[in-house]
Amino acid sequence: MLDTLVLISRVLGLALIVLGGIASLIGAIGFHRFKNFYLRLHPLTITTIWGCVYPLIGVTLLTITLSELGVYRWFIAGASFITALIVLFLAPAGSHAIARGVHKSKTARVQPCLADLLDSELCG
Amino acid sequence: MIWELILIIALLYLASIVLFTIIAFKGPTLGDQVLAIDAITYATIVLMVLFSIYFKEPILTVVVIPLALWVYALDIYMAKYLEKGDLGA
Amino acid sequence: MIYMYPETIVYLIMAVSSILSVVAVYLAIMERDLVRAVLYSAIQSGLYTILYYFLMAPDIVLVYLPVAVGLIPGVLLILISKTERVEKE
Repeated sequence: MLDTLVLISRVLGLALIVLGGIASLIGAIGFHRFKNFYLRLHPLTITTIWGCVYPLIGVTLLTITLSELGVYRWFIAGASFITALIVLFLAPAGSHAIARGVHKSKTARVQPCLADLLDSELCG
Repeated sequence: MIWELILIIALLYLASIVLFTIIAFKGPTLGDQVLAIDAITYATIVLMVLFSIYFKEPILTVVVIPLALWVYALDIYMAKYLEKGDLGA
Repeated sequence: MIYMYPETIVYLIMAVSSILSVVAVYLAIMERDLVRAVLYSAIQSGLYTILYYFLMAPDIVLVYLPVAVGLIPGVLLILISKTERVEKE
């Protein structure tokens, strides 16, 4: 029973870490493919949630079963889980603040634009 | 099995850090550069945690929590500078 | 292959971050727009963080990171907003 739980936890953790690596690379390619500031918010979100929050939870699931690390593996697990929570709360707030500042300072144009009710000069 | 997989994933994160750094160097506007610095830091966090497992030294994990907190401070500085033109100090 | 020489990955990461930090310092010196120069300096300090981490000095990372990512861009942005943004000839 306990061995089954250990196996499930390790496989799930490694799967989340592998998925995070692939998603981070996809986000990095997306930064080069998108042409505009507001469109680049989308690969940043991929990098943040799939590439940082889920791998840290995967590290938590992996390290609580690795008995090679000694007693302090609980420290790695707790610290990475707290970091996942911090990134999950703070990264969307930061990117929203940057987008608001760029839109107010009129440094980037809204490029595929149907309507911009805040400032109609930036449209198109 | 686990340790080789951790090294390969670290190589993926290294490649994404290099691509983000290129965008951070040549981004057309200031906002692109700030977004790229954010992404560099979030990739660095996962890289550091993975190597903390790989080296089997748990004290190296302490670094990542201030890293996640201070980059948010950089976001807020740049947003306030772009929005108001000064930091109000 | 990777399993036979695992320390090569660590040296590869250190070499890549060193080269990218040299490019960031060159761009920070040559840039006319001072806000962009502050951002290049932030990129350089983030890459130095990876270097200090792999040189097994997490205490130096804990001291260097708030100063280089938090304090110096904040103080420099206040200073730039009090004076002028673009450097003259």
